[in-house]
Amino acid sequence: MQSVKRKYSIFSMAKNAFNGHKDWPKMWRSPEPREFYDAIIIGGGGHGLGTAYYLAKEHGLKNIAVIEKGWLGGGNTGRNTTIIRSNYLWDDSAHLYEHSLKLWENLSSDLNYNVMFSQRGVMNLAHNEHDIKEIKRRISANNLNGIDSLWLSKEEIQKKVPIMNTDNLRYPVLGASYQPRGGTARHDAIAWGFAMRADEMGVDIIQNCEALQIKTKNGKIEGVETSKGFIRANKVGVVASGHSSVLAETAGIRLPLQSKPLQALVSEPIKPIIDTVVMSSAVHAYVSQSDKGELVIGAGTDSYNSFTQRGGFDIIEETIRAMVELYPVFGKMKMLRQWGGIVDICPDASPIISKSDIEGLFFNCGWGTGGFKATPGSANVFAHTIAKNEPHQINAAFSLERFVSGKLVDEHGAAAVAH
Amino acid sequence: MKELKTNSSPFVNFNQKISFLFDGKKIFGFKGDTIASALLRNNINLVGRSFKYHRPRGIYTCGIEEPNALVQIISEYSEPNTRATIKKIYEGMEVESQNRWPSLDNDIGSINSLFSPLFSAGFYYKTFMGPHKSFWKRIYEPIIRRAAGLGKPPKEFRALSSHLHHNVDIVIVGAGLNGLLAAKSLINNNHDILLLDFDNHLGGIINNSAKISSIDNQSPQEWVKSTVEAIEKSKNIKILKNTLVTTYNYINHLIAVEDKHVGSRPSENKVNNILHKIRTDHVILCNGHIERFLSFQNNDLPGIMLASSFEKYICRYGTLPSKEPVIFSNNSNSNSLIYSIINQGYKPKAYIDSRSGENIEPELFDLIRKHDIPLYTNSQIKGVSGGKRIEKILIEDSTGGLSEIHSDFLCVSGGINPDVHLFTQSKGLLDWDEKDLTYKPSKPFQPTITLGSASGQFNLEKVSDEINEKLKIFKNKVLDTKIVLNTKESYQIEKLWEISPHKSSIWSKSFIDLQNDVTTKDIRQAISEGFDRIEHLKRYTTNSMGTDQGKISSINALGIVSDLLDKKVNEVGTTIYRPPYAPLSFAAIAGRNSYEFYDPERKSPIHQWHKDNGAIFEDVGQWKRPWYFPLNSSESMHDAVQRESKNVREFAGVIDGSTLGKIEIKGKDALSFMNLIYTNSFSKMKPGSARYALMLGEDGMVKDDGIISKISEEHFIATTTTGGAATVLGCMEEYAQTEWPNLNVYMNSITEQFATFNISGPKTREIMNKVFPEIDFSNDAFPFMTFQFHNYHGMQIRILRASFTGEMGYEIYIPSKNAAKIWGQLHSYGKDFGLIPYGTETMHLLRAEKGYILIGQDTDGSITPIDLGLNWTIGKTKQDFLGKRSLTRTDTIRTDRKQLVGIIPSNKEDQLTEGQHIILNQTIKIPIPMLGHITSSYQSPTLGHSFGLAVIKDGHSLIGKKAFASTPDQKTIPIEIVKPVFYDEENKRLVS
Amino acid sequence: MLIIECPYCGLRDQSEFSNGGEAHVKRPDGSSEISDREWSEYVFIRSNTKGIFYERWVHSHGCRKWFNCVRDTSTDEILKTYKIYDTRPKLKDFKNLVDTPSGEPELGSGNFTVKK
Repeated sequence: MQSVKRKYSIFSMAKNAFNGHKDWPKMWRSPEPREFYDAIIIGGGGHGLGTAYYLAKEHGLKNIAVIEKGWLGGGNTGRNTTIIRSNYLWDDSAHLYEHSLKLWENLSSDLNYNVMFSQRGVMNLAHNEHDIKEIKRRISANNLNGIDSLWLSKEEIQKKVPIMNTDNLRYPVLGASYQPRGGTARHDAIAWGFAMRADEMGVDIIQNCEALQIKTKNGKIEGVETSKGFIRANKVGVVASGHSSVLAETAGIRLPLQSKPLQALVSEPIKPIIDTVVMSSAVHAYVSQSDKGELVIGAGTDSYNSFTQRGGFDIIEETIRAMVELYPVFGKMKMLRQWGGIVDICPDASPIISKSDIEGLFFNCGWGTGGFKATPGSANVFAHTIAKNEPHQINAAFSLERFVSGKLVDEHGAAAVAH
Repeated sequence: MKELKTNSSPFVNFNQKISFLFDGKKIFGFKGDTIASALLRNNINLVGRSFKYHRPRGIYTCGIEEPNALVQIISEYSEPNTRATIKKIYEGMEVESQNRWPSLDNDIGSINSLFSPLFSAGFYYKTFMGPHKSFWKRIYEPIIRRAAGLGKPPKEFRALSSHLHHNVDIVIVGAGLNGLLAAKSLINNNHDILLLDFDNHLGGIINNSAKISSIDNQSPQEWVKSTVEAIEKSKNIKILKNTLVTTYNYINHLIAVEDKHVGSRPSENKVNNILHKIRTDHVILCNGHIERFLSFQNNDLPGIMLASSFEKYICRYGTLPSKEPVIFSNNSNSNSLIYSIINQGYKPKAYIDSRSGENIEPELFDLIRKHDIPLYTNSQIKGVSGGKRIEKILIEDSTGGLSEIHSDFLCVSGGINPDVHLFTQSKGLLDWDEKDLTYKPSKPFQPTITLGSASGQFNLEKVSDEINEKLKIFKNKVLDTKIVLNTKESYQIEKLWEISPHKSSIWSKSFIDLQNDVTTKDIRQAISEGFDRIEHLKRYTTNSMGTDQGKISSINALGIVSDLLDKKVNEVGTTIYRPPYAPLSFAAIAGRNSYEFYDPERKSPIHQWHKDNGAIFEDVGQWKRPWYFPLNSSESMHDAVQRESKNVREFAGVIDGSTLGKIEIKGKDALSFMNLIYTNSFSKMKPGSARYALMLGEDGMVKDDGIISKISEEHFIATTTTGGAATVLGCMEEYAQTEWPNLNVYMNSITEQFATFNISGPKTREIMNKVFPEIDFSNDAFPFMTFQFHNYHGMQIRILRASFTGEMGYEIYIPSKNAAKIWGQLHSYGKDFGLIPYGTETMHLLRAEKGYILIGQDTDGSITPIDLGLNWTIGKTKQDFLGKRSLTRTDTIRTDRKQLVGIIPSNKEDQLTEGQHIILNQTIKIPIPMLGHITSSYQSPTLGHSFGLAVIKDGHSLIGKKAFASTPDQKTIPIEIVKPVFYDEENKRLVS
Repeated sequence: MLIIECPYCGLRDQSEFSNGGEAHVKRPDGSSEISDREWSEYVFIRSNTKGIFYERWVHSHGCRKWFNCVRDTSTDEILKTYKIYDTRPKLKDFKNLVDTPSGEPELGSGNFTVKK
């Protein structure tokens, strides 16, 4: 089956409306795997599909496959709270996330698919003197790196989020950092948008195809043994989040990752009440309101390793009590759904976008609790790394080698729980 | 007032009339009514507007599965999205319909229906991108977001909820026929049992339909009464009514919420609800089934209701929503509805069954013939029409002929599903039953048993057989319950998911998800676009993502998709239900663990003194520490800190250091252990002396610091930072137990046992001499970094000669209960010498002048001891200590790492600001390389200008050089990089 | 929330414990000469097994003892807990529910994205 070009606009909508929406083409083909690809991307989430998209678009690789164990975007791409920001402390992180934020700003028109990137701003609250110092340091670094980041006084916070209880709580709100260009996006749309446009350029997207073993020979990649048979490849990029280390192990590589449960929840939909994204790592709660009206609330990780995509109810409790404390009007709200994902966490809370000791084998993982915001940026520099066999200057610091040399990008302070 | 529709019901008290407000209009109902049953009594069926198209919507069900009838309870802090079908009314209740403006009858939003052909699946993704990018942020997005939501935000509400923990052997979920029978068979059995039901009247199907004629020769109601009494009398079973199990976690951990104010206004000062957290060995799910609807044109109009719900309104609430409804079914479950209506002295206007005549039960045929009810077999409803209520029904009979019936009420049944929500939450597997056309529980993951219709066993006459078989493991009493039915039925259904409309236009709609306004057209379009995985479909169309999670419709969607793809349903996918079963109140989840109980406040033993003396407090972790002590309300923090600092340097000051962590380490191998934990070597230290020490992580980065006092080779006391106390103790314990179990050492926290007062300043010795006249504080008798134990009025205290301010000073360790006494003595003797109390801010300023670091402020987890210039803390000859090997990795031996330096502004009047960065250029051109940042900075009253500590790249070799500090408004301040010590570099004052 | 059997105190709720990551990881002796790579493996790399996993817990709100545990990370089922000095149980003592490196067990996985 040939790929087709899909053009979306209000005119194409209107045209289709009059024939009952029967003529929309398929978003992507469902091909069987070929024997050989120039590059195989393992993992059909946002980062993996994006990598294939940029490989095809910017590096001219055409013979590419994305293989996915389940369905596209079914992992952390479809399970996160969709917060996007770039106000990270360290230069290396700031450049990476800012690169991503800039791509987000043009992504809907790039893809001709509305990913509903909503730049409603992201606020990080300070609850004690120590928070204030850390946040002000981060704002200063952000500003010198050219990232919009400003300090909000308590009064300014109250003006932006009138429902917030700033004074009458155990850890009062003393101020916040605010990134106006930050916000949220529609998580499924980015996976679908990347998939569709990658498919148009001939990328084979193969769902329900599990990678079983990464095959290597004499320090070189050979291909991937999959549930649909062995597929040869010149290059393999592993973008399998929580399962990356399990797959790396099949090639004899140990990655510094631990996979832990992370939970999130949404409330019932209500009319608009909170107009920005508010994060607080001190009281473990972050919230935004979806375009449907649901409060989208992120909780923390459990302490133990798990691949079950479920966590403890105590984590939910911890988050909700912080929400009720910060926003007294939420007392009468109700939790509609809760769910879990598996996040792969690096010791320094920064990702790995790197070559490996095996020629032709690359890893993009370790995004922990905050990978969604990086989706286009991560995909973009990973595609560069795969195509050129060397990292882009933006991701050079995020190599596997940093754990040996000790040159970590320690974002614990900035990341803690909330991302 | 119109006469209310009533007949008999054991659950409604027709003698107690209740009035409430619906959209400002006074409505009457009876005690026991839900909002929905009361509205139906008053012939009100229009109760809300739909999410997307603002279509008029009515009451579709009679229970928790309700997709449409969601209302706002104004009288309960304006609680939104409350199901009218379960919320009981009380006198003076105020209810409002949702998602309409200006009124329910005339809703401007309904104009959306006109444009509905545009609003197909994926509408947002494909549009709002032109003509220019800025249109999205400025025009489209605000419009989309304004349209969000169903109900309005609630009012501020301080929850009164409690949590209750249970540990039992068995939990039975649902006290309907199966739940009661299961419990009955386990009366006075050896197991502790909880029987939970969402209802305030137990009995389930017995109360909700006329299916059962008698149980063990008793009337069903009598049987329920006597059975419940027997269970209540038992020693081992506890019944919780009004309690909904919402969550079935791993290891049989259930969350259930109990409503404590059913049918009454919530009290301001009594517990409103209880969250039950239950651990159990076994779970028996008897939570029944849920009826599905059917998709046909305009199947959302008010006046359409599920067949079993209609029967429930009759049997349970004693109200007949309509005297002559039309009934449309594809299965035998709705047979009893016809019986129930006839029982009331009325009859359906028509009965339409998609099954062919030979499949319809003979008893039903007889009943229909006897009462002369128009019967259409092998027939379907092609669609209905009407405005704010259905008016006409279009029927296609077995010959394909079309006819129209006028009716304002239609009961629909598309079959029944076991309520597998909790079972799937427990991670049990489901199997598609091709005969009953539904998913049924197959393999449980946890010790879970399903009974009755919850297990897919729909035959009421066989319930006791199933219980006898499945509960054998509990050695239960064998049941021989005789159940006689009014309507002979063994569940029988014919496949039917959707009926295509007779005439289709781009405006015609058959709904598959009522709450989210998803139509079967949306499903078709999604499939044709390739969203053929059920999760993709759900996300693309928002099908079953409403507050009802598609309880009455998600299986229908699977059916439609399986037909479209020509696959079996179980190849298409299962429905995954995410907890909770029904929306769960935030207040209930938070319980008592918020507000004043959010997090404990830790306080020093002399906290009250600080309060009495006007201290302003700072949160340091859980501790409340005095930040500064203003002289009066007009003294600013800056002035207070300048005054306090000056006073310490000129006279003396004392700070309450009780929050510092204190750990006692003992054992034969205590010395070796301490040498492994800290960077320093304690081997050559004399007992009675103390040393400043650093603790590293295995990555070589500074984690904590403190003073280690050596009492003997086998006994040490370590102090830690306030925030690091728990981590340091935990780390010591971990290594002692897991890495060096051969070392004989044990440790304990003594933070709470001892108060610590740090007194320093030139007048300190004179004050100490007054307070402790028997102790010799001379330099020879009590040198710097030594400590002594003394007896003070019968208690042992420890005095350590150490200082964090740069002035000579002592730390006094006193058992907490006597702390106030010594604190008082210090002040009463110290007053004459100018002693003042000071807070953490002054302490920070003074230590910074002296160049002492503050962990967590001057360090951030990326700083080694060498970076800090604290090489002298590292025991050079030690073979090992935590993090030692990391100090010689390629990145840690770099000489141009970020290092601690001092900075002073070149122009003394300039102010440095913490967190600002050091750069080499005077003008800022963004992005600009940063050398590092200012970690601490203060206005020094001693130096007379601002100064700071900073960690900057290659800092040690930049000392003596000039650079610039950025300011918050992106300007620069010229600075000089200096050694990180600004006061008494030779330590003369310290050892004076 | 898990229920964990502390070898000293018995069955307790998970809220009393803290997780300590992979078990049976030997800290290199400081006196031995090891490469940067070997040391970094000790500091930063822990197995991230899907399936049978040896891990440590500490009864932090109880007896404060560290102990070892065998847990199936694909279902979270705790298979055994034992004292820190007890011999490590053999892998073959337990049934492995995961056939492929990133496969899902038939029962007990929360991951329904993969159709069997």
